[in-house]
Amino acid sequence: MAGAFDFVPAIAALPLLAFVVSLFAGQYMPKRGAEAGILATAGSLVLSIWTALTVAGITGSATSYNENLYTWVAGVADGAVTLRLGVLVDPLTALMLVIVSLIALLVHVFSLGYMNDEGETGLPRYYAGLGLFTASMLAFVFSNNLLMAFMFFELVGLCSYLLIGFWFREDGPPSAAKKAFLVTRFGDYFFLIGVVGVFATFGTGLFAPITEGGTVVAESFPQMAEHALEDGESFFGYSAQTWITILGMLVLGGVVGKSAQFPLHTWLPDAMEGPTPVSALIHAATMVAAGVYLVARMYGFYLLSPTALAVIALIGGFTALFAATMGVVKQELKQVLAYSTISQYGYMMLALGSGGYVAAVFHLTTHAIFKALLFLGAGSVIIAMHHNENMWDMGGLKDRMPVTYWTFLSGSLALAGIVPFAGFWSKDEVLFEALIHGFGSTGTLGTMFLVAYAMGLLAVFFTGFYTFRMVYLTFHGDARTDVARDPEPVGWNVKGPLSVLGIGAATVGLINMKPIADLTGLHIDFLHKWLLGPEEGGWPALTSTGLHHYEELMHNVAGIDPAYPLGETTTLLVSALVSLSLALAGVLVARSLYNEPEPVEHTDKLGGAKTLLMHNYYQDEYQVWLAQGVTVPLARAADKFDQGVVDGVVNGISSVSLFTGSRFRRIQSGVVTNYAALMTLSLVLLLVVFVVLGGGV
Amino acid sequence: MVVDIAGFQVADWVALVPSLILGVTAMLLFIVDSIEPRPGTSSNTVLAGLSTLGALGAFLVAGYFLVLGVGQPRGTGAVDLFNGQLVVDGMSLFFVVIVGSVTALVTLASYDYLEGQEYQAEYYGLVIMAATGMSLMASANSLATIFVSLELSSLPSYALVAFLKKNRGSVEGGLKYLLVGALSSSVLVYGISLVYAASGSLQLNAVADALAGGSSVPVGILGVGIIMVLLGFAFKTASVPFHFWAPEAYEGAPAPVSAFLSSASKAAGFVVAFRVFLTAFPEVGGLAGGDPMVDWVTAVTVLAVVTMTVGNFAAATQEKVKRMLAYSSVGHAGYALIGLAALNAPDQGFVLGASMMHLLVYGFMNTGAFLFIALTEHWGIGRTFQDFNGLSTQAPLACAAMTVFLFSLAGLPIGGGFISKLYLLAATAQAGSWLLGAALIVNSALSLFYYSRVVKAMWIEDPSADLEVDSYPSSLYAAVVIAAFVTFALLPAFGLLSPSAFDAASVLFG
Repeated sequence: MAGAFDFVPAIAALPLLAFVVSLFAGQYMPKRGAEAGILATAGSLVLSIWTALTVAGITGSATSYNENLYTWVAGVADGAVTLRLGVLVDPLTALMLVIVSLIALLVHVFSLGYMNDEGETGLPRYYAGLGLFTASMLAFVFSNNLLMAFMFFELVGLCSYLLIGFWFREDGPPSAAKKAFLVTRFGDYFFLIGVVGVFATFGTGLFAPITEGGTVVAESFPQMAEHALEDGESFFGYSAQTWITILGMLVLGGVVGKSAQFPLHTWLPDAMEGPTPVSALIHAATMVAAGVYLVARMYGFYLLSPTALAVIALIGGFTALFAATMGVVKQELKQVLAYSTISQYGYMMLALGSGGYVAAVFHLTTHAIFKALLFLGAGSVIIAMHHNENMWDMGGLKDRMPVTYWTFLSGSLALAGIVPFAGFWSKDEVLFEALIHGFGSTGTLGTMFLVAYAMGLLAVFFTGFYTFRMVYLTFHGDARTDVARDPEPVGWNVKGPLSVLGIGAATVGLINMKPIADLTGLHIDFLHKWLLGPEEGGWPALTSTGLHHYEELMHNVAGIDPAYPLGETTTLLVSALVSLSLALAGVLVARSLYNEPEPVEHTDKLGGAKTLLMHNYYQDEYQVWLAQGVTVPLARAADKFDQGVVDGVVNGISSVSLFTGSRFRRIQSGVVTNYAALMTLSLVLLLVVFVVLGGGV
Repeated sequence: MVVDIAGFQVADWVALVPSLILGVTAMLLFIVDSIEPRPGTSSNTVLAGLSTLGALGAFLVAGYFLVLGVGQPRGTGAVDLFNGQLVVDGMSLFFVVIVGSVTALVTLASYDYLEGQEYQAEYYGLVIMAATGMSLMASANSLATIFVSLELSSLPSYALVAFLKKNRGSVEGGLKYLLVGALSSSVLVYGISLVYAASGSLQLNAVADALAGGSSVPVGILGVGIIMVLLGFAFKTASVPFHFWAPEAYEGAPAPVSAFLSSASKAAGFVVAFRVFLTAFPEVGGLAGGDPMVDWVTAVTVLAVVTMTVGNFAAATQEKVKRMLAYSSVGHAGYALIGLAALNAPDQGFVLGASMMHLLVYGFMNTGAFLFIALTEHWGIGRTFQDFNGLSTQAPLACAAMTVFLFSLAGLPIGGGFISKLYLLAATAQAGSWLLGAALIVNSALSLFYYSRVVKAMWIEDPSADLEVDSYPSSLYAAVVIAAFVTFALLPAFGLLSPSAFDAASVLFG
């Protein structure tokens, strides 16, 4: 009987079908292709949930699935690499499939309000883009090998480019789209080299081994790397440890670009030029998560390299703080959210780097919900404000758009990390894991984790501040413009998705209330159990992507261990209290500064720091300088070489050829007696050479 | 003598049926014309139809014989006729296939081209007689029959080139062709007489036997004879240094005649050269091992490289498309000569077979290209590259066909020319003859330049204001399209035909 796993490819195929339908038939449909997208993503959601239930063991006996489905390049010789497409389903995949298809469905519905009702043109193109994106993202999630993941990684990048530039007739969007494409491509360049390196080293890109009847028929590259490390092998003249670090860092290039981590984060704020539902789906909840998801997917590989882990943790902690400070001075609603997105992905990287696998996945889940909510809420405000995004022109929207306000508030509390909203639980776990691993790990690795932790902790304060600055400026006080006094009403297709996500943002944290579980001894840390799997057998034994395996690796290879400086329970409580009080402090400062009928700008008080923050630490400037001051002269030099030397040689050859040709042409004088003479002469010449000199006579 | 063809015991001359069909067709054309002897009164349709049917018949029968195994080791074995004066084997049938198909395309295309011309019956008669001569050249196995059949194909050709009697270029080309041809024939016949003097024989196998004697052979006389015979064939194949007639004859002649001469006549010249040098002179040239008495392999190598280079380089600087094609035809003779030059390879049958396959593909792509020129002459547009500007806006189908021909001639993978050139290159690599291989590559690269000029003119340049195509002559179009289709089809179907070429070729190496 066909089980859920046989339908996993259909999860991506349905939105792909919607892409085709919207593209070619969208203009004939009443909602210009939205119908196809909504039906397809609803179908994907149903199938994803079925898959998740099967993984949970409720609707089937097999709880994981890993098969190659299609071979598109078959290696013939021994040791030749074979390139395949395949499906890997384990709890991580199943969770991510549900998140992506849920958000995609809600965003499709929201788009009815944001795009259709606003009378936008070119909608079939928009829905085709959304469909292709959803298909690519889902296929990326269930990819069973690195190359397939790379291909869909690139496809989601392409869709991001197409959708950011949806309003291509204006000035901003095309430029932002190009920037997003180029900056992420810069990271993907390293990713591609990493993919090639993995294939060249291990001959396979499988994330998890493929088993048939209990025996492994194809090993995965994290496993092979693990064995190589145990056996003390060396690759290309490097020790296994060094080489794994090199490969990990190369793949990390793509991750940093896609998940908008420092220093490749500069594209994300500009990407806000795209339609807001696109920002919610692609630039907050899903595509940006692809980078983090990739690290989680091949976590067994990264755990073999403490250096790579330290780098990931430091990048994450630094980005979390760095982006949060920039979010403090932004005036436009979506800009604040963009910097907050960068900052929150920093937390996930911090968690992954410091050994908090569950924490990272948890924060990925909660963030997808509450950030999609905040973006859609912002979209609702933008509809109401006739596409004016400046928060200083808003104010007082609380009473005029209550659904948006209350859901937005739910999302904001989650983002700021206020108990019991989702963000509190996940962010607290991230910081707690970083703290205990920082104390417990040996050598500099522990120090690095503590540094990263400190930055992450400091960022909590800024997060609380900028989040509630945004809330107060937008919804509280007096309306500061006529539009804000009489905002445009929004329909059910806006309120519906907001309500679903608003409830989610308040409650999704309940899936893993680790502190409560530890304090009370109740087993309510569901996500932890979800990713842990059964102690013996089951999917962790088949795919070796279970938490047990990761914890062993952490202990054995990287030397990451938890330590509790104040005892287990006290440490837990202190950590939670510290982060909560910092968040509350941020909220209270924002309240004291901006919760007034007529708030004024306080950024001038920052002095020189204001300029620095307003200019985003001159990140864009130095990247532009890199492009114009370094790359362009280099390109000029290469062009000179090409034009001068290469073309010169080519042109030289061609003029020599033509000159020779014109000489040969002159032999044909047109006078037949010349021909006779030449023929006779050449006959004589041949006779001399081949008969007389050839020894004939 | 009796041979077994497809289970029937028939007289051995039946193997010669393809050539006979051509000869009978020529006679029939005379009879048809004699019914209405006044110029211009015979029905063009009847004449063209009869000629095309005759040529097609020869083509089909020869092809069928090839499939049946007539003249080949797996069938009857080589059929010797008239005491070995003629022979029917795989190679002769293969070349009759080339000659027959080219002739059929040419006569088909001529139906429209000759519209309103006088002396049509004479035209078709001459074409078919020349084709008869060419098919006999493929079977000729003695220096005497070779000379006679060669002249049988040459003499009608002279008249055909000068067919447009009121056209200065046509008459001038014909006269030059005749004069150069006369000189070449005298060189050839003198060479034959010297070979006879050295060996005492005209039949090729007997010549080979006589020359195997070793020390008693007068090498000086033989050497002069062999070089002269080689140059005599160089005339027929339009190879340097006896190529001088080609650019002017091809340019002046009616375009279908140019197609006929540059494809069929060239192929016939090659089959004679292959047969003479590989049947009569293999030991002289050192192919059986040991030092060569007369190193004709090196001489052919030199001629091949020079022919390729002169043809292609001169083609690169032409202003007229037809003349460019004429020089490119000289260049292709150089490629085909590789079959006689790269014989140091371990698999000599592969080398010769590659050359034969190149001539087969060339038969279609070059005929097609010249027939496209016939089409433009029919339309009355000019002859230079600029005159072709924007032609694709008026005649996209014909221009697409021409593009296939040109790119296939250049060796791009759009037609059989790609694979045949690849095989020739492989042959040079097998023989370790890097000079030939390098010359092939350099000249092919150069040829892409001048072929692309035509393609660029047709597709990319803007048409001039007065460019107008007013008619779409159906038979010319049909011939062009058929040639294009076959050229293209030979890309995937190459492997179907190449075994017969390789088998036929390896027979000659015993």
